[in-house]
Amino acid sequence: MAVMTTRFVSAAELMARVLGFPGYKFAIIPHPISSASDEALCDAAAAAIGQAGGLLLRR
Amino acid sequence: MPLTARGHSVPDFAAAQELYHANGWTDGLPIVPPTEDAVAACLDWAMTPPDQLIGIEPVRAIPLTAEKLAINAVMAGCLPMHFPVVLTAVTAMLQPEFLLHGATSSTGGCAILIVLNGPIRRELAAPGTFNALGNADRATSVIGRAIRLVLINLLDVRPGGIDRSTIGHPGKFSYCVAEDEEDTTWDPLHVQRGLPPEVSAVTVMAAGSLRQIMNEWTTEPEEILETFAAEMRANMRHYSIWAGNYALVIPKQLREHLQAAGWSKSDIATFIHRRARIRRGEWAEVGKRAVVRGQADAEYAALESPDRLLVIAAGGPAGGFGAVIPPWLGNKSTAVTLPVGACIDCGPPSR
Amino acid sequence: MTFRVLDPTNEATPPLGTQAPRPASLEGAIVGIITNGKEGTLGFFAHLERMLRTEFGVADVIRRTKSNYSAPADAHIADELRRWQAVVTGIGD
Repeated sequence: MAVMTTRFVSAAELMARVLGFPGYKFAIIPHPISSASDEALCDAAAAAIGQAGGLLLRR
Repeated sequence: MPLTARGHSVPDFAAAQELYHANGWTDGLPIVPPTEDAVAACLDWAMTPPDQLIGIEPVRAIPLTAEKLAINAVMAGCLPMHFPVVLTAVTAMLQPEFLLHGATSSTGGCAILIVLNGPIRRELAAPGTFNALGNADRATSVIGRAIRLVLINLLDVRPGGIDRSTIGHPGKFSYCVAEDEEDTTWDPLHVQRGLPPEVSAVTVMAAGSLRQIMNEWTTEPEEILETFAAEMRANMRHYSIWAGNYALVIPKQLREHLQAAGWSKSDIATFIHRRARIRRGEWAEVGKRAVVRGQADAEYAALESPDRLLVIAAGGPAGGFGAVIPPWLGNKSTAVTLPVGACIDCGPPSR
Repeated sequence: MTFRVLDPTNEATPPLGTQAPRPASLEGAIVGIITNGKEGTLGFFAHLERMLRTEFGVADVIRRTKSNYSAPADAHIADELRRWQAVVTGIGD
């Protein structure tokens, strides 16, 4: 599962396309991470986990 | 050998401009329409067939051919005589230790500094004197621009695309300097980096924007160089603490004092290596207390060793000015120096 | 007067890749985290690891930090991937 902060979504979409995976789905979390509080990091992790089922498991 | 690039018919010069701009194929400035004749002339001058593989961008495995480089060089305004330098610069940038993808995609926003050495500077009328890091001459302007167009068109390094630079800097238009080898007693940069003096060479470095210093009030080498070291320490405090290649540009007025005192480039590098250091605790003085983390006394050097410093003799004859050019981000990218030459029946260099 | 100009791009379309098959469940699985080690990732991945264990029943989480956060994962990390059932990585600042 690839996790992108919101400000890197366009970069992820472009890299997916140029690497041969157009439309590759990834998890999106708030930006930035570098200065986020621990509470915000916990919320971001929860947001990623909420999307993880659809990205990591066979449906 | 025929060219294989797809062609587009355009009715006139203005239409050619709009075609290239609309497709995102420019740096925002007008381009020289790359006709087959102009592209072929570059390849002929460099004695390079159009399908010659110049190298492969390692991260995305993208091959770069001579024909495509020539197209972008013509667009930038290069004449055939400029093209061998473009080929050499791109070959150098594709070496794994340069980390081209990282350098060109990073939010850190560096540009590719290109340093010209050897006889080719005189052939190209690139003296490395007045306005050395501005629009000094045709050669350095178009060579630097060609590199940017190559990145845009062959590696998709466009703002908001692969290029995630938050701010970037004007060197992204063109960042090329010739060393003033004739007006110094110092060894040229390419000789310091292991090449014979009679060859022409290109050095590429993933570089931040230059920071000018001024000290016209002393002739003492240690005092002059302390000003350069202070600017490097400031970069470590304000931008990035990590060691890497730094470049110093030393114009004639300051250079003469150093030379008169018998200081070589090696002496300069040894001094700078010793003086360009900070403690981690200094971060607290510039708003970065959050990352000092109890390691206030840890010392960081700007250079892992003296030979990581690139000393370049360039600039106009008057003015106690100099420049510090910091690295992109520490030692993630290493500067590469390669000789310029026609490559006949060879692959990319193995170094 | 019409004239012909050349395409400056590499004109190539990258070959399509194939996604790894997804497991039906991560119960008892080994999940790898490839981190760029930047500020904030420690805390983020610590929470993520906890949640992978509690909500997906993941048995083991292996954290690997790239030696250069601006380059792809080191070869030895890429080699380890085949021993994991899933991997998490990311881009962000």
